[in-house]
Amino acid sequence: MRRAVILRAAVWLLALPTLAAQGAHAGEATVGQALFQRHCGICHLKGGTGTFMLGRRLGEQNALLETRKDLAGDYVRAAVRNGIQSMPRFSRVELPDADLALIVQYLGGAQSR
Amino acid sequence: MKLILPPGLSERGLNRALDAFAGVTGREWVLRTDEDRETYLDVYAPGNEASHAPSAAVAPATTEEVQAIVRLANEHHVPLWPISRGKNFGYGGAAPRMPGCVVLDLGRMKRILEVNERYGYCVVEPGVGFYDLHEYLQSRKLPLWLSVPGNGWGSVMGNALERGFSATPYGDHGAQICGMEVVLPGGELLRTGMGAMSRGTTGPMFHHGFGPSWDQMFVQSNYGVVTKMGMWLMPAPEATLSMSMKLPDPEDLGWLVDVLAPLRLRGIVNHIVSVQGCMASATMSSQRKDWYQGEGALPDSVLRAIMAKHDVGWWNFTLRLYGDPEVNEANARLIQKAFAARTTLPFTIARWSRAESGTIGGPAPGVFPLQIVNWHGGRGGHIGFSPVLPPDGKLVVEQLRLTRQRFREAGIDYSGTFYISGRHVINVNLIIYDRDNAGMTQRVRGLFGALVKDSAAAGYAEYRTHLSYMDEVAATFDFNGHALRRLNETVKDALDPNGILAPGRNGIWPARYRGQRGTG
Repeated sequence: MRRAVILRAAVWLLALPTLAAQGAHAGEATVGQALFQRHCGICHLKGGTGTFMLGRRLGEQNALLETRKDLAGDYVRAAVRNGIQSMPRFSRVELPDADLALIVQYLGGAQSR
Repeated sequence: MKLILPPGLSERGLNRALDAFAGVTGREWVLRTDEDRETYLDVYAPGNEASHAPSAAVAPATTEEVQAIVRLANEHHVPLWPISRGKNFGYGGAAPRMPGCVVLDLGRMKRILEVNERYGYCVVEPGVGFYDLHEYLQSRKLPLWLSVPGNGWGSVMGNALERGFSATPYGDHGAQICGMEVVLPGGELLRTGMGAMSRGTTGPMFHHGFGPSWDQMFVQSNYGVVTKMGMWLMPAPEATLSMSMKLPDPEDLGWLVDVLAPLRLRGIVNHIVSVQGCMASATMSSQRKDWYQGEGALPDSVLRAIMAKHDVGWWNFTLRLYGDPEVNEANARLIQKAFAARTTLPFTIARWSRAESGTIGGPAPGVFPLQIVNWHGGRGGHIGFSPVLPPDGKLVVEQLRLTRQRFREAGIDYSGTFYISGRHVINVNLIIYDRDNAGMTQRVRGLFGALVKDSAAAGYAEYRTHLSYMDEVAATFDFNGHALRRLNETVKDALDPNGILAPGRNGIWPARYRGQRGTG
């Protein structure tokens, strides 16, 4: 599985729709979910570099942010604004406070999903 | 973090300027808290982040707001550092060369103004990312392909303005620029090329215009703020034919260059060819500790273990042929023939066609290569040393030998890729480090300095570099007592007498801050 992910990343992805595109066509998804997919999804969906790194550091069960049940709002906000480990920081231009609040709300709702 | 002011400006003076900027953009888009400043630091800095710390950021939404801010910056003597999306990772990210600059963040200007399917071009604003443009093309099923760099998170325009590249026919991104709208350092608005006509319609179609051709003047420079740009896009081909090969030994690079460069020069291969070392597969999928626990650069035995486990060669490359299937097959035969004279190694062949796949196809943006910063674990970082070499196998192998020797001396793992064209080779050497290991970052700085010096002695220089090394690399362009620097700075002083735009970018310092050369 891991090899397959890497090879997919290393070669051209002919005909594969982007995660951003999936985010834009989220259908019935909440605004928070769509924002998560657009801004965070390039690294933090299945097969993404962030998911891969978290899997190594915290175990596979904690790799996918969308299924985590321990993501406190302050922690998410701090990670986004201050960066964490190899993750770059997001400015308020790239991710305004109001949008970040919706992402925090979405990730905080994993308990009920 | 602590506020760092630009040279010669008081905190009161800065605050007056920021208040004036807020009158243009609204207070929301003047970012001046400690946390705001930190979001623009270089996350992968090889040294102290404070060396390139901004004092604030301002984010205009329109060209008119950019003009107003630039005029106010002149009035208040506040230096600006324009960024498109700030994802110039490995080269400084969003951070300014000179500490204390106010980042002019153009990320809110993200309109795709035009995509012309018939003529194969787009016109975009600075904040448009590769993901945005890809989504636009795919969702409308437009038969145009993007050329995407290794880090697909960044801006289409920003990457072209840095001369980013990729292994595609349109892979020299700076060369695809066609027509610009630019805010000059005094605030005046300029359009280049055919777009300089009030009713000009061919700006994104013809590179030059009438008289001097100015587009490239605004590439890797600090002569203006580009607010719109025409970029050529590749028509989606009917089919592709891919030919991949794995080479077993480092010295194989020599004959490979001698075979490939003429094929590229003759147009049989019509893209930059990426020849990637075996380390790439390891750094993108594992950590150093998985392979080796010892000190010093990875020994050759570990590289052989990586090759065996990942089923890769010491060097690995893929040639792609684009277009009519019959032409692709004919060119593939010519390539096979050229290689047969030097090797019996086999190609792995793959074919794709639009008709059979039912898709437009094309490269999609991705960020997986950023995985490399996790090589040492912890807070990783990377910079690249990327000299331009002649496409001569003997010289390229000599450069490889010397570069690997320098990495070994510094105790840093070597990871190199050679991008082969018909008339040059760009050798990107990735230097990956643990930012919290002071001894390692110190060795990285020593390694970089040695590489610059060695390359200059051989007559080579980088095509692009990190903020911290801009002066060092610019200094190697030393013909006739640095005549190029004198020209660059004569132009700079004429256009930007107050020195407010990106002081120090690519070693170009305005008179006002010239004393800062070599600092930071």
